[in-house]
Amino acid sequence: MARLIRTEKEVEGNFEEIWLVVEEDPLEQWPAGPLDVVGRPAVRKDALERVRGEARYTADIRLPGMLHAAVLRSPYAHARVKTIDLAPALELPGVRAAIGPGDAPGLEAEAGYAGAAVAAVAAETFGQARAALEAIRVDWEELEVVVDPEQAVERGLVHGEPERYERGDFDRAVAEADVVVEGTYRTQVVLHNSMETHQSVCEWVGDRLDVYTSTQYVWGVRSEVAGELGMPADKVRVVCEYMGGGFGSKNSAGEYTFAAAALSRATGRPVRCALTRREENVAAGNRNATIQRLTAAARSDGTIVALGGEFVNALGWGGWSASTEGPLKMLYACDNVRTTRHTAKINTPPMKAFRAPGFVEGTFGLECIIDELAAKLDVDPLELRRKNYASSNDGTPFSSKNLTQCYELAQKHWDRRHDVRARSDATWKRGVGMASQIWYGGGGPPSYAWTRVGSDGRITVVTAMQDIGTGTRTAMAQIAAEELGVPLDRVEVTLGDTARGPYATLSAGSSTTPSIGPAVRAAAADARRQIIEIAAQRYDLEERVLEIRDARIVSADGNLSVALEEFLEILGSAQILGKGARGPNPTGMSVLTFGVHVVEAAVDVETGEVRVERVAAIHDVGRIVNPLGAESQVEGGIIQGIGHTLSEQRLLDEETGRVLTTSLDAYRMPTIADVPEIVCEFVDEPDAHLTNLGSKGLGEPPIVPIAAAIANAIRDATGADVHELPVTREEMLRALREAAKKERRGSPAAV
Amino acid sequence: MDLLQPSSLEDVDGGLVVHGGTEVVPLLRDGILHADTLVDVRNVVPRGISGGVIGAGTTLAELEVEPQIPAALREACRLAASPQLRNMSSLGGNLLQSTRCWYWRLKYPCRLHGGDRCHAAEGEHREHAIFGNDFCASAHPSDVAAALLALDARLRTSRRELAVADLYRLPDEGNRRTTTLEPGELILEVELPQVESSAYLKAMDRKRWSFPQVGVAVARTGGGTRIALAGVAPVPWLLAGPEELDRATPLERTAWKVDVARALAGRALAQLP
Repeated sequence: MARLIRTEKEVEGNFEEIWLVVEEDPLEQWPAGPLDVVGRPAVRKDALERVRGEARYTADIRLPGMLHAAVLRSPYAHARVKTIDLAPALELPGVRAAIGPGDAPGLEAEAGYAGAAVAAVAAETFGQARAALEAIRVDWEELEVVVDPEQAVERGLVHGEPERYERGDFDRAVAEADVVVEGTYRTQVVLHNSMETHQSVCEWVGDRLDVYTSTQYVWGVRSEVAGELGMPADKVRVVCEYMGGGFGSKNSAGEYTFAAAALSRATGRPVRCALTRREENVAAGNRNATIQRLTAAARSDGTIVALGGEFVNALGWGGWSASTEGPLKMLYACDNVRTTRHTAKINTPPMKAFRAPGFVEGTFGLECIIDELAAKLDVDPLELRRKNYASSNDGTPFSSKNLTQCYELAQKHWDRRHDVRARSDATWKRGVGMASQIWYGGGGPPSYAWTRVGSDGRITVVTAMQDIGTGTRTAMAQIAAEELGVPLDRVEVTLGDTARGPYATLSAGSSTTPSIGPAVRAAAADARRQIIEIAAQRYDLEERVLEIRDARIVSADGNLSVALEEFLEILGSAQILGKGARGPNPTGMSVLTFGVHVVEAAVDVETGEVRVERVAAIHDVGRIVNPLGAESQVEGGIIQGIGHTLSEQRLLDEETGRVLTTSLDAYRMPTIADVPEIVCEFVDEPDAHLTNLGSKGLGEPPIVPIAAAIANAIRDATGADVHELPVTREEMLRALREAAKKERRGSPAAV
Repeated sequence: MDLLQPSSLEDVDGGLVVHGGTEVVPLLRDGILHADTLVDVRNVVPRGISGGVIGAGTTLAELEVEPQIPAALREACRLAASPQLRNMSSLGGNLLQSTRCWYWRLKYPCRLHGGDRCHAAEGEHREHAIFGNDFCASAHPSDVAAALLALDARLRTSRRELAVADLYRLPDEGNRRTTTLEPGELILEVELPQVESSAYLKAMDRKRWSFPQVGVAVARTGGGTRIALAGVAPVPWLLAGPEELDRATPLERTAWKVDVARALAGRALAQLP
């Protein structure tokens, strides 16, 4: 029976109450540990298509008669279009249409950052479109530019009121503490730089609009486009079969989609609008910079009595303010907490969600100051973390939390630190650091899936979700195969098309597997139930004695064993259809993910070079569906996090507000040569309260603790406190000089 | 745009010269270079190694594995760019690279582009010069040029012979160019004198595919030791000795490069037998 309930939905740490229709989901969770298919490493189902270049990404879409669009972007960080003349562009060869401010959502007369979209041109070739941009005449009125976030906050240039949080009596706890540590931490702007740039191909087919787009949320783009264009949602079809990375930056439609749709309408031809790599580095979103003024106070026995933070999120012209204070509020048991978060609105490119927004930045500050506190208390950092273990989320019970097991698994890596330090020499100093991880990742409803079982005994899972490169296709196939008792190669997954399958949620916030996996399992169980029911009738047996195992229908006494395809032959071209829905999250519980990283790093104290030599990553995300895919997630998160920690930074010219690092030689992501030894371990304990699957998401957790763990390893190696990301040679040498000065001051011999 | 592929030097007449294309093509795309005619000189410029003479069309990938090439040049090639780029890029072209200064690459009207200010000196310059930087603070990106400067290589062009040091000039008010190469002049060969030993060390902020933050080439001959630096001045920079680093003129945010150069120079010298 369908039930209507009111439930809380979380995405990227943002909560909203929603109405939800749920079906009865009578499935018990599977037992813990590896099963027949689930919990066993599986090579991606689409691995060969991808490596052979057969997988069709949005970047590969070439429709007959397709035009190419180019976008005119503001050269000024803050300016208003007084007049714009598109006519000269329209006279150039190959140009078929041009649109300006107001002609499509995202093309605006007021540019709040250098790179804001103003106009767009469609032409027969991209070169013609780009050349035509230069012919557009714009009369700009330059407006005041503010790029300093603290100045912006002082002047009230903000996105909303400050977010304040307080529990207990922070001031009193600090005053009464034995040890107080304060520090200011800064994190930089980093870019997603997905391999596939942001792009869409739009085509009007009668009154229907087809949108091929590189997105993390086909349904979100559908409703956004339908809403903006005033169309019925079912007249918009959104397709994303393969996707070249998003990391949070592709959760919405974007100006490139609306420009392509408008230009397609104007010309009657399909239009492709794709950001160049240069544009991708400017206008595709970013992880905003933060400033974090933190206080940690403890009793001499190591009990943390107060944690406080004044945060500035330097958001840029747009975006949303993520919870940088989240880890400080949630990671440790602490009675007295006070945080304030200001959100500066400055004339820089807009923030977009980036893999655990807020928590990546906040964990850097928090887990560094916790180590500094440990040093001041002369307590082992791992011991300090164990001692202040949070057994509830400020009173709300966890649906499951196995951080203690993570710490236990981390111990053997932590114990290597004496040997690691001993391998130091005159120039290379080595050390070990750790940091804990807390983040969301429970997913939530609604999401739906269908299954289709053919007379050949093959199964198709149909759900209009998207695989953003994380291996979702494979994980969903594993879940269906497990439930239906068939090997993995019997299952295909159809996804990425709003016209071909039921609604499924966005792939963001580590939510895909925990949101859609349970729906897939329910849909597979529905088909299994039907197969068992008709087999019982066909063979005159009771349903309860029948099961599907190794793609055969077998009876408990062993007298019946018939191949699935042999039995289902009777269907002919007909099919067994199953459907399943994702149920609600447990009420009154916090669904969170946990983990710990132990990093071994080496610092060349003469040249400031930092090398990450080994990372042990232990994560608690409930049941692991595909251990191979899970390891890939962890490796990817760590590599991206190493870039964040050591080499990546988007630089701006302060005078013009323009991005300077627009190419991949200036914006430096790690190469494979920079990747350390990575050891992955999982607690792999299903969350007994969470869905029929017990799985949480793993997309984001691995990037959360890595920066702090590296910084703490640097401190262990050199005694230098790193307070600013990225730890370039310049920053490392500065921190080493600072540490040397402190040492001299502290040492009587130097006086 | 026309592409010419002349087979003899005499047929090279005007147009924008391109060899591997790893520098010229991005500059064309970014609208910094403009051309109606591209002249592919791969059939004109010699390629290969013969004794101490290297064809300027020899790729970095070919040089990095050649045992008879001095260590400093081999290492400079090996540590440059990525394998794909080294397979395409020529020795001669590498010497003629433009700076990676972001202001110059983004076409700010800076002094190198003929303007009247150095945007980097006043703006974001953490990767810029520590020597020769009062007019233009850009840093020269060629590892190979520093190696050849330390090795005291000589160049043969389509018009003259010259020491590699004489290929470069600091830009000034009257002349914004950083090389002495004339329009239409091609580098054809590089001649390496005998050296006893040499080395090249490079600081990057990732392990591969990065221009030098600081590159240090050292070479020893009977006559003494030469030290040359990459990434520290608008041109490859010859250093009289490590102590000259005390007279560097770093910008506010480039002092760290002096420390790095000092450390690498000490190590490179210590590597020489």
